[in-house]
Amino acid sequence: MTVENRYDVIVAGAGHNGLTAAAYLARAGMRVLVVEKNDWIGGAAVSRSLHEGWTYSNCSYVCSLLRREIARDLELPKYGLQVIPYEGGASFTRDADYFAYYSDHNALKREMARHSAKDADAYRGYSQAIMRQCRFIRPFLLRDAPDPASLHPRDLGELAYLVKKAHGQGSRELGETLKFWTMSIGDFLDEHFENDLIKAHLAGSGIIGTGLGVYSPGTAYVLLHHYMGDIDGGIGAWGFARGGMGAISNAIAASFKDHGGTIHTGAGVEKILSKDGRVEGVALEDGKVFYAPVVASNMDIKRTVLHHIDAAELPDDFTKAVRNFKIRGSSAKLNIALDRFPNFPAAPEHTSFLRGDLHVSQSLFELEKAYDDWKVGRWSEKPYIDMLIPSQIDPTMAPTGAHMMTVFVQYAPYDLEVDGVRSAENWNEKQRTAMAETVLDQMSVACPDIRERVVHMEVRSPLEIEREVGLTEGNIFQGELTFDQLFFNRPVPGWSQYSLPIKGLYLCGSSAHPGGGVMGAPGANAARAILRNETRHGRMKGYAA
Amino acid sequence: MSQFDAIVIGGGVNGLIAGTLLGRRGKNVCIIEKSTRFGGMASYSVDGGPTLAHSLYNLSPRALSDIGIDPQHPVLSGKPVSTVSLSEDGRHIVFKNDGVYWSDGTKHPESSAWSDLTQRLITYGSLLRQLAEAPAPGGQKTVLSRGGLNEFLRLAKLGIGLKKLGKSEMRRFLQVVLSNVHDIILDDLPEGPVAGLLAADAIWGSATGPRSPGTVFNLIYRLGHGGIITQPAGGMSALTDLMVEAAQKAGCVLMPKTEASRILLDNDTVSGVETTDGRTITAPIVLSNLAPKITSQMTGPSVFDIETIRRVRNIRACGTAAKVNLRLKDNSPLPGLPEQLANERLIFAPSVEYVEAAFNPAKYRQMSKAPVIEAFKVQTADGASWLSTIVQYAPSDLEGGWTESAKEKLAQTTVETLSRSLPGLGDHISGKQVITQDQIESATGAPGGHWHHAEMALDQLLTLRPANGMARYSMGPKGLFQCGAATHPGGDVMGLAGRNAALAALEAQP
Repeated sequence: MTVENRYDVIVAGAGHNGLTAAAYLARAGMRVLVVEKNDWIGGAAVSRSLHEGWTYSNCSYVCSLLRREIARDLELPKYGLQVIPYEGGASFTRDADYFAYYSDHNALKREMARHSAKDADAYRGYSQAIMRQCRFIRPFLLRDAPDPASLHPRDLGELAYLVKKAHGQGSRELGETLKFWTMSIGDFLDEHFENDLIKAHLAGSGIIGTGLGVYSPGTAYVLLHHYMGDIDGGIGAWGFARGGMGAISNAIAASFKDHGGTIHTGAGVEKILSKDGRVEGVALEDGKVFYAPVVASNMDIKRTVLHHIDAAELPDDFTKAVRNFKIRGSSAKLNIALDRFPNFPAAPEHTSFLRGDLHVSQSLFELEKAYDDWKVGRWSEKPYIDMLIPSQIDPTMAPTGAHMMTVFVQYAPYDLEVDGVRSAENWNEKQRTAMAETVLDQMSVACPDIRERVVHMEVRSPLEIEREVGLTEGNIFQGELTFDQLFFNRPVPGWSQYSLPIKGLYLCGSSAHPGGGVMGAPGANAARAILRNETRHGRMKGYAA
Repeated sequence: MSQFDAIVIGGGVNGLIAGTLLGRRGKNVCIIEKSTRFGGMASYSVDGGPTLAHSLYNLSPRALSDIGIDPQHPVLSGKPVSTVSLSEDGRHIVFKNDGVYWSDGTKHPESSAWSDLTQRLITYGSLLRQLAEAPAPGGQKTVLSRGGLNEFLRLAKLGIGLKKLGKSEMRRFLQVVLSNVHDIILDDLPEGPVAGLLAADAIWGSATGPRSPGTVFNLIYRLGHGGIITQPAGGMSALTDLMVEAAQKAGCVLMPKTEASRILLDNDTVSGVETTDGRTITAPIVLSNLAPKITSQMTGPSVFDIETIRRVRNIRACGTAAKVNLRLKDNSPLPGLPEQLANERLIFAPSVEYVEAAFNPAKYRQMSKAPVIEAFKVQTADGASWLSTIVQYAPSDLEGGWTESAKEKLAQTTVETLSRSLPGLGDHISGKQVITQDQIESATGAPGGHWHHAEMALDQLLTLRPANGMARYSMGPKGLFQCGAATHPGGDVMGLAGRNAALAALEAQP
């Protein structure tokens, strides 16, 4: 062993969470190595140029959830991160009308009244309810989830904090919170609104990235998962990172390197080495071996445990629980280079809402039916699409006059059904093109000339997302956000505090509490757990170097 | 001076139990019922056909003994019924208490996996039963009252019970209760009829499919009293007759053909009930076995705050289970079914995916094209043989409404589906009764014909049942209580809602 291949901590995977954990640990004075299988860093928060002149945010495409505490701690603005909020969005109808969502409250109210006076009145109550839930949940994101079966003082302390926060709401609000957390976004919206288009517009955030339909209980929470972020203090606001989502990863990486961190790209982890229940390091695909007493895996729990660790090193019931962990691919992505701005015939000229998220779903039923298609292994006949043209705000994404469009598509199954056989292997060029055609048809509801505008198009099915980024089944959250996989159940009961059954092995990706999104919280929380468990007076325990 | 100490509106199972319990505690009680028969949904039938409910699996021994009925009473000590999952190739699967068998008596390979899973859920069910036998936790005004103390003790008992399971099993419990039945079943069992039966048992009566999160709770609820299925000797009406008898013995005055039109109030306190035929019955306590919405309409909305009215309006209750009774030409054996299985519970649910697919159309106000079916062969008092079936999904808000042709289509679908396993069943049928939600609603008052009066979903359970702030049976004006299936713990022929409500009413007595 030489000093060159020894580190205090090795992080497997240079996604935004892996980099966040690494950056925190480097700042705490540790010698940290990040290893990454791709030649580039960022995982699913990445900007890549696949067609000259255009930059794609290939996977994640908008930013809101990144915790501001993390941006502050790691000084991300100093390292080049700029997030520009966009205002509003719209859902287009099939008869050349639209419902526009403005961040300006009065404009939104007027627009809602155009569709339903009753809904315009109801909006205040709706947004108050959502905002209350956001306020309630935000403090928990950067804390550990207590283990209810443990009597450890820290668990009891966290449990007491939870009880205090919950009880502090008062019994009426506590009841509303319990109800909100357990109901479906469809039922929640039905309670407030009557207009199909408005409901469809608002429901999207409740299903993005999940294997659930708008009427599946628990989707109201998923909505929250997309609302609890903020940009410069504006809770629920979304924006573009200048230079694409890769800018976030790049800023974290720059912060990391500036504090002495090392990133090794181009070779993924082949195996996480361990001996006598203690982690020793990692062996890479290119034959290199690095040693460290602590390894933090940014890979999802299934990939980490089932593919890169000897099963013999782990207790059987743990492995079984991991095998039963649900990671379901449900979304696809189209990244499109446009020769010029597409025509939206329904939209008024110079409107602001085209700079936001655009949709074409007409009703909750249409969204629920899209889910039914997915359940039997087909992509939705009328998928939910979330399309944005960031180049309107960020000129770095496309050549002058041209534009870049990102289209999130749901639902698309991982195990595609073709001729009665369900398999991921069925995703080939033909199927991808056929799915893209379905999506383009759906998009032409908003912009009929979309097909003529396409210069280059990247189509990513769940299989491509899995192959390139490493996310099992292409699930963007590294695991379903259902009650049985959240909080102290995430990723599996008993292991919700980042450590895994092998000593020194940690999980720092979205499979861990509080879950997915470009949030950074699992990475930051894992770093805290590592510092707490593995150091004594600021020095690594049991590490001679 | 009031005529009675308490009035119970609605003589269904919960109403009878609530009234009887109060009567046995020395109250002068009157139970009014709009139809001629007591027993509500449990014993509702059309023209002497089979009753709406046709088996017992969740009846609470505690509720029974509280009203003076011996849980071992001859009517109730019928032989447990096995469940038969009907197969299209004639290899039916029989579920007994000790395992799963093929119809030829050999052990099914998934038997032990099935037993393990059901046993675990039954254990969870018996833990949760402590919660079912008392008002839902939360909402006690003062912690230092007797009620507050009792509640604390109950929760502590539950906590200790959980702890006793052991650390890993306790963690598992906290994960499983929140999960969906599709995942929990398929984690342990391969897709197929054994898994399909469990999926079916998780969705009866409710507007959910196996993939809906929270459905494991429904399955646990069903298994809360051990999961043993029986049929009362003499049919469901024998059971309700027994309850009527117990009510009379407790001194209750039973008034059939008496429909409440208004709940009378005096200065925000209940003073009695006005009936549709203009009579006034007075009492300081009224227990309503009706759904919360109807109850609130009977008092008028002005006695509730706006929040309560909004919540009551938002209670979801879309019934999905229709009753299709097929009259058989004679008592000859059903085609394709071995003689010894003739009187067992027959289920058509060949896989989890089948159950989920059956649910899909119901979401869009359509009936299932291939429904999930539970069937019993029964004999009515007139000696006629029937196949009494519960057919799911048949949503109460069917697009176009439950017209005669829609009902005919449902009956036809039922026969066609059953014929897949019982070939030639159609030739044995001489008549049909289709009882859909609208009819159940108008006959029994259950909103949407829903057999739990309010959907059993995680956001409408325990402290949130029937709605936030209403979980402790009292509702609005002083002296008004709810005692129906919409309240905690919920429906089925179980009786705990009525029992808990009566105890709450007694506790509130000055």
